[in-house]
Amino acid sequence: MINFDYVKISSSKSAIDALNKDAKSQFIAGGTNLVDLMKRGVAAPEKLIDIRGLQLKGIEQQNGFIRIGALALNSAVADNDMIIKKLPLLSQALKAGASPQLRNMATVGGNMMQRTRCTYFYDTTMPCNKRQPGSGCGAMKGYNRMHAILGASDKCIAVHPSDMCVALTALDALVIISSNKGERKMLFADFHRLPGNTPEKDNNLLRGELITAIEIPEHDEYAAHSLYVKIRDRASYAFALISVAAALDMKGNTIKNAKLAMGGVAHKPWRLVSAENFLKGKPASLVNFKQAAGIAMKDAKGYGYNDFKLKLAPNTIVEALKTVSGLS
Amino acid sequence: MSHDKHCNDEEKFLHHSRRNFLKQSSLLTAVALAPPALSRAGDFTDDKVSELFEQQYIQIEVNGIAHKFSVEPRVTALDLLREQLHLTGTKKGCDFGQCGACTVHIDGERVLSCLSLAVMQNGKKITTIEGLADGEKLHPMQEAFIAHDGMQCGYCTPGQIMSAIACVREGHAGSAEEVRQYMSGNICRCGAYPNIVDAIMDVKQKGVTL
Amino acid sequence: MGFLPEELDRIDARAKVTGQAQFSYEYNFPNLAYGVMVGSNIAKGTIIALDTKTAGRAPGVIAVISHLNIPKLTGYEPVADADKLPAIKKGFKVFSDNVIRFNGQPIAIVVADTFERATYAASLVKAQYQKEESHTDLREQSKNAKPLEGASYKDYVRGEADAWKNAEVKIEAEYEMPYEVHLPMEMHGLTVKWEAEDKVTLYEKTQTLQGTQRNIARVFGIPEKNVHVITAFVGGAFGSAGNTWPHSIAAAIAAKVIGRPLKVSLTRDQMFMMVGYRPKAIQKIGMGASKDGKLFGITHEADENTASYAEFREGSVNTTKSLYACPNVNTRYKVFPLDLSLPTYMRGPGETTGMYALECAMDEMAYALKMDPLEFRLLNYAETDQEKNRPYSSKFLKEAYQMGADAIGWKDRKRQLSSMKEGEWLVGYGMGSGVFSSGRGAAKLGIKFLADGTLILQTGVTDMGPGTSTSMTKLASETFGIPVNKIKFEMGDSDLPPGPGQFGSQTTSALGSAVSNASERWKKKMVEFAKQTNYFHTENFTFEKGFMSLTEDPSKKLSYADILKSANVPSIELLEDSPGASQDKFTTYAYAVHFVKLHVHPATGVIKFSKIVAVVDGGKIVSEKTARSQVIGGVVSGIGMALMEEGVIDHRYGRWVNNNFADYHVPVHADVPHIEALFVNKPDPLVNPIGSKGIGEVTMVGFASAVANAVFHATGKRVRDLPITPDKLI
Repeated sequence: MINFDYVKISSSKSAIDALNKDAKSQFIAGGTNLVDLMKRGVAAPEKLIDIRGLQLKGIEQQNGFIRIGALALNSAVADNDMIIKKLPLLSQALKAGASPQLRNMATVGGNMMQRTRCTYFYDTTMPCNKRQPGSGCGAMKGYNRMHAILGASDKCIAVHPSDMCVALTALDALVIISSNKGERKMLFADFHRLPGNTPEKDNNLLRGELITAIEIPEHDEYAAHSLYVKIRDRASYAFALISVAAALDMKGNTIKNAKLAMGGVAHKPWRLVSAENFLKGKPASLVNFKQAAGIAMKDAKGYGYNDFKLKLAPNTIVEALKTVSGLS
Repeated sequence: MSHDKHCNDEEKFLHHSRRNFLKQSSLLTAVALAPPALSRAGDFTDDKVSELFEQQYIQIEVNGIAHKFSVEPRVTALDLLREQLHLTGTKKGCDFGQCGACTVHIDGERVLSCLSLAVMQNGKKITTIEGLADGEKLHPMQEAFIAHDGMQCGYCTPGQIMSAIACVREGHAGSAEEVRQYMSGNICRCGAYPNIVDAIMDVKQKGVTL
Repeated sequence: MGFLPEELDRIDARAKVTGQAQFSYEYNFPNLAYGVMVGSNIAKGTIIALDTKTAGRAPGVIAVISHLNIPKLTGYEPVADADKLPAIKKGFKVFSDNVIRFNGQPIAIVVADTFERATYAASLVKAQYQKEESHTDLREQSKNAKPLEGASYKDYVRGEADAWKNAEVKIEAEYEMPYEVHLPMEMHGLTVKWEAEDKVTLYEKTQTLQGTQRNIARVFGIPEKNVHVITAFVGGAFGSAGNTWPHSIAAAIAAKVIGRPLKVSLTRDQMFMMVGYRPKAIQKIGMGASKDGKLFGITHEADENTASYAEFREGSVNTTKSLYACPNVNTRYKVFPLDLSLPTYMRGPGETTGMYALECAMDEMAYALKMDPLEFRLLNYAETDQEKNRPYSSKFLKEAYQMGADAIGWKDRKRQLSSMKEGEWLVGYGMGSGVFSSGRGAAKLGIKFLADGTLILQTGVTDMGPGTSTSMTKLASETFGIPVNKIKFEMGDSDLPPGPGQFGSQTTSALGSAVSNASERWKKKMVEFAKQTNYFHTENFTFEKGFMSLTEDPSKKLSYADILKSANVPSIELLEDSPGASQDKFTTYAYAVHFVKLHVHPATGVIKFSKIVAVVDGGKIVSEKTARSQVIGGVVSGIGMALMEEGVIDHRYGRWVNNNFADYHVPVHADVPHIEALFVNKPDPLVNPIGSKGIGEVTMVGFASAVANAVFHATGKRVRDLPITPDKLI
């Protein structure tokens, strides 16, 4: 790791100023991914701006939204009583991710900003368009067991590793972003990008911007039927092969509305809009669930080692829907 | 420290970072400030001296004792403990946050010291495995690990114990199944898991305050 | 800690739970320097340019050592006709030339005054290569390349070769075992301090002090006694610390060059490339039996890999020659050189790989015969060793089968495939047996019995986790009749009388024999001294609880300390030289039987264990508490092998791609249920005076087959390539 400068900042304004001042500076909060990347030589900021002193840790109800500060710890959100009650999907997703120690360090904003765990991205001796644009994609014809089946490009087939973000995508969250131009809001689903021709860009946050909070619209009607299912190679402390976030608003056996998203399948948390539309107003049944899963998998494509996801993904969608709807 | 005072300090940082300071300062000044260890003839390069200035001063309480350090920002809390304080009970098992061997408590919470920069712990309290026993009297979790043989080679053991104490304190030791989930951030390659779970459940059931 | 407790706590547990246990990278000396290894990033070729200048100029750097500036070393001088040696015999000496033999091969060591500076400077070393095409795909090479030749690769035939083809009922199947990596939690590391020009101390992670001593002495051309190796604790190894690897040699060279004490640790990714791994194996088994279930023929073939520059073979087909009674058995074992680093022994070497295939095949055969898999095994139980045509010293495998079947509830198993369900989960029962040769190696043991009644045992053995000091203390307590708190077991230092290397499950057997023999000699001396006291008048003594008493009249007794005092003897010192025993009249194996009950979720392929039982026939169990932990540990390794462990190499680059703990999965807490570990615990009357057979290896052997067999029972899907990940079950 190169040596770098470090400064601790206690206001959003100073943080943004500091970032703007130094082109090779970067924010650090939990550091669970950034320090890792720096150790491997994948990231090499010359200055770290420690933003943990900012007053962005709150979790509160506000005008029909639940607002979570960007610096709230993953463990604090997961164990928060209101979150458990009103947004069980988010709590479950957080608890399915990483380990208790990492959740005690990682923040909500940092979780969103974490980079892919693609092994070709991490190993600096390997080609990777995300790490070094133009060097090629090592995973495309290599070991791509963990990789994307949806929304990939010929430049990059990496996946976003977060569990939390899958839940937030399903829950129609908003991202609150500050810069010296003021504040802007973005749909969570628009925050992360598909790789396209610029896989080096993970998301649509601009230089000089700071994520300050997440806002999730309050829809208590989904709380009773919320489930995060994660399939992985071991029972804990592993990234998802496939994960499904499912929240249903049900009346009797009828699905009034569905919120669905998948992890482990794309460069971003993957919202299943067509499947949601299909389920709307339909009764909870195996036939409908299978059809919804089929719709979700339209355009999916495997790259060899990850071909199994073409089957595991729809199966997991069906399992999640069966359980969350009470069908099984 | 008042809010204003803090901001002023920040301003100073922003406008006069040490790196910038160095770039502007003369080599002579730097040489004069260099400790004798570096003062070998012909040994000076701007970069070598600059390293000294790129250290930052921090104060951390480790196991109840306040320590002052001068560290490079890239030094992790793990390496600070092991290489500078020689508290080698905290283990390096991967250095990438993938095994849990380096688990310590910072301000009472379990975290991975390998991914924690030392400079970011300024003013904090760290508890390591060496800080658990009260003189000759072991911590109840240490006793339980011995009684249940919650170890083989012993390398992951300090991390397991630090994590186990936190697991009970957090209220995540309600059942063996819950313990297994909440201890999964600590890998044991010898496979002492079932004994570790027994040890934790034993401590939990005895209801001692940890 | 009481006297002769049933369950002796691990002797070194206190050091381990307090963080006081000191591992090889944790020694500190004034002026200590840090070394970091730099690896190649191609698999085959030559270095045409190596830029070490940038690294050399980085802050704090003391030296960068590579093939460009390595000092002259006695051990590196070419042997006569070196050029004529075949590639496989040439070996690899770190920094000796510019040839790249595997991806990740050490090409330089960077030494600096701090860890951070050394690590950063290491990233500045840049090599330019002349690349050559590399071959790292075993499947491809086993078709296209020639295997190694020699007496070790001779086919074995008993009866008629390939006779299974003529049997009434037959099966044939191929099983694939991926690369497995030891990955002990302590990364390989060492601290080196040269005491004089020809004298060095190494604090090294090793399973053999004497091996390290020998190898280091050879490189530097110095007497072995001048190489002092200290290994107080070993943070796991499972076979990876049996060799003296290139980084250890590099550290010793670098420390000598800089004239300062130096420590070096590998990084976790280097642990995949620099300290061995279990070779990959492609195995084929043909098996035939009569309709009533009597085995008629077995053919077991295995293709495995070694490095291009040195030979490693583990003989994975060997146990098939004798585990079951069968008139016709033949085996073929082939090893192919690949452009990879050298594989090495890993827990249950050979047997773990071979028995996985054999025990799956036995299960497949049982189904083909419509028999219960346990009944089928009992029907073909080998009462004698048919390979070597001699009896077993002891074999309590039948008892182990029974104990395991009772504990798991085998009788509740319905024979029909996919017939047992709990909710949406399919339930399966499976079993697999394990076997591992139980040899008795040589060991020297020093004994000091002091005037205050303290017994000191000294031997140059290391303990990577099984609890050698604990079991030996317990054994000494029993044989000498001395309370455990009066016994001190000193080990981990090459200055002590040489003990056995800790591999091949022989430590307990070798060292236990030495303890037992030493106690007999010590007792004779004590009798001599006792007679001098004029207090006793017969020669029949009982040694117990620190006292000698008359066997006929236990009330007449004297403490050991008093006997020494009245005989005016300050201490008794003995050196026990316990030879290894070659077995030519009988065969000794330790056995394990694994039973599992598991649940499979058919739509997502998720597997959950609901019960695991492991029964071990390890002769007399010396220390039950630590032995039970060892069995549990073997099972956990087996869970890893069965469900998740797989080292992956990208053949385009010849490089490990999942070389970290996030991508190479090993079991975590949540994967491991309660495990019932049972012992037959009957002494073997012949293997050694204590009747104990080593158990470290056998506890893992056969477990993966039990899982594969249970998955088949649950789902009807036969997974023949490990690990059994969710994708293979949907």
